[in-house]
Amino acid sequence: MNAPAGLDLASIPERIQSEVQRAIQRSIKGVEYIASSGPSLGSTPKDILASRGTMNLYHYRPVADEIYRVPILIVMATTNRGYILDMVPGQSFIEFLLKHGYDVYMLDWTAPKPEEKRLGMEDYVLDFIPDCVRRVQQDSGETDVSIIGYCFGGVLSLLYASIFNDGPMKNLICFTTPIDFREMKLFSNFSDRRYFDVDRLVDSVGNVPPEMILSSFEMLRPASRAASQVQLWENIWNDEYVKAYRMMDRWGTDTLPLAGEYFRAITKDLMWDNKLFNGTMSVGGRKADISRIKVPILHAVAEHDHIVPYEAAKHLIPKVGSTDKEEVMLKGGHVSLVAGANAIKRLWPKLDNWLGKRST
Amino acid sequence: MADKGNDPAAIWQTMIGEMEKGFNSFANQAMASPEFSKVMNQVGGVSAGAQKQLGEMMEKYLLAMNLPSRAQMVGMAERIQSIEGQLNEIKALLHQVHHNSLAPEGGYGAQRPPRTRRPPSEGEPK
Repeated sequence: MNAPAGLDLASIPERIQSEVQRAIQRSIKGVEYIASSGPSLGSTPKDILASRGTMNLYHYRPVADEIYRVPILIVMATTNRGYILDMVPGQSFIEFLLKHGYDVYMLDWTAPKPEEKRLGMEDYVLDFIPDCVRRVQQDSGETDVSIIGYCFGGVLSLLYASIFNDGPMKNLICFTTPIDFREMKLFSNFSDRRYFDVDRLVDSVGNVPPEMILSSFEMLRPASRAASQVQLWENIWNDEYVKAYRMMDRWGTDTLPLAGEYFRAITKDLMWDNKLFNGTMSVGGRKADISRIKVPILHAVAEHDHIVPYEAAKHLIPKVGSTDKEEVMLKGGHVSLVAGANAIKRLWPKLDNWLGKRST
Repeated sequence: MADKGNDPAAIWQTMIGEMEKGFNSFANQAMASPEFSKVMNQVGGVSAGAQKQLGEMMEKYLLAMNLPSRAQMVGMAERIQSIEGQLNEIKALLHQVHHNSLAPEGGYGAQRPPRTRRPPSEGEPK
């Protein structure tokens, strides 16, 4: 009997041996996986400069002998923890920036407490960000500050930059930042104003629970969690795969609740009225039109982003008033754009190349 | 070596990948309909409303039983969190004072690296 085309009979024993070994390893490592805790994340040395309710401002200790004049303030998305940008050594964006001579600060969030349900968009844009910028100026002794905003942190940074367009922001970098919320098709459908009573929800629950936020993210790709667990079992013999899986899984499920009034404003102003895109957005009575932004701006978007599709993000660069502006589309998804092996070879060097010459 | 077309492990992985894509795509189409939004929000709305009513009823019941309600426990937790927050602030302040006392004359700023870095010129290794 002949072997099917392409099948090398001589390799079969070797293949069987390899599969048996992997099966044994799966059993051993599977037990280890259940019994052990995941890798320690967010461990780059830092000092807490300010902690006020949901707001935390960190300063990472510089490691280079010489640093750029302009410090960076990273504004994290309000739905997730900042340690996505500070995974383990060798895979930490923060560590990369420090080694490349940047002075790095991060505005990170903790879960808003029940009494913080009244925090609104104005608290984030007119209080927390300006307060952190002031503290960065004070701590670094520099007037200029560059801001990096990730996902909704990018939206908050855009609002801040539109309102405080006379400074002290030196450069603005947005990662996967939506401005046309109609194009976030599924989120838009979930929050259809004909059926979604945001007032009733917020008045009932106060802060929007993290389970609700997480399930709305997971609903965008409902089969992916099950498929990723199958893949985990397939690859559980591979320590590197397991480590990467655990890091991403822990972060992905570590979702934060959203302050009630803030969620109400996001739903009404952004999801329903698309005010950021239409140029009619205002925060605390102050107009926030992104065409007023004049600082150099870089927008990094991901080719396969299922949370912020390109259609929702593509108008940012055309709409800002800056002359020095660039959009860069890189391979990857919403998270792999900024963290993991893909980010190390694509986004991080691109950012360093763009920001270094604008940080002196 | 067997090529990928005959490798059972590769076939299995491709199948899982394709099933995931297919199911996601199918579910996304179904979830994009107004009917889905209507049903999802009806269910969500009823559950949020029921949760609120149940909470109010339980509060009355616990009051009658002379037991603390969830709202009272949350209030107490808030006070503890607020005390914790203040302790953190005191800790941060103490850390700063300690840090400054160790700093050389001229302050801690003098210990930080100089802000004189220039970007590497084109072609220069980073």
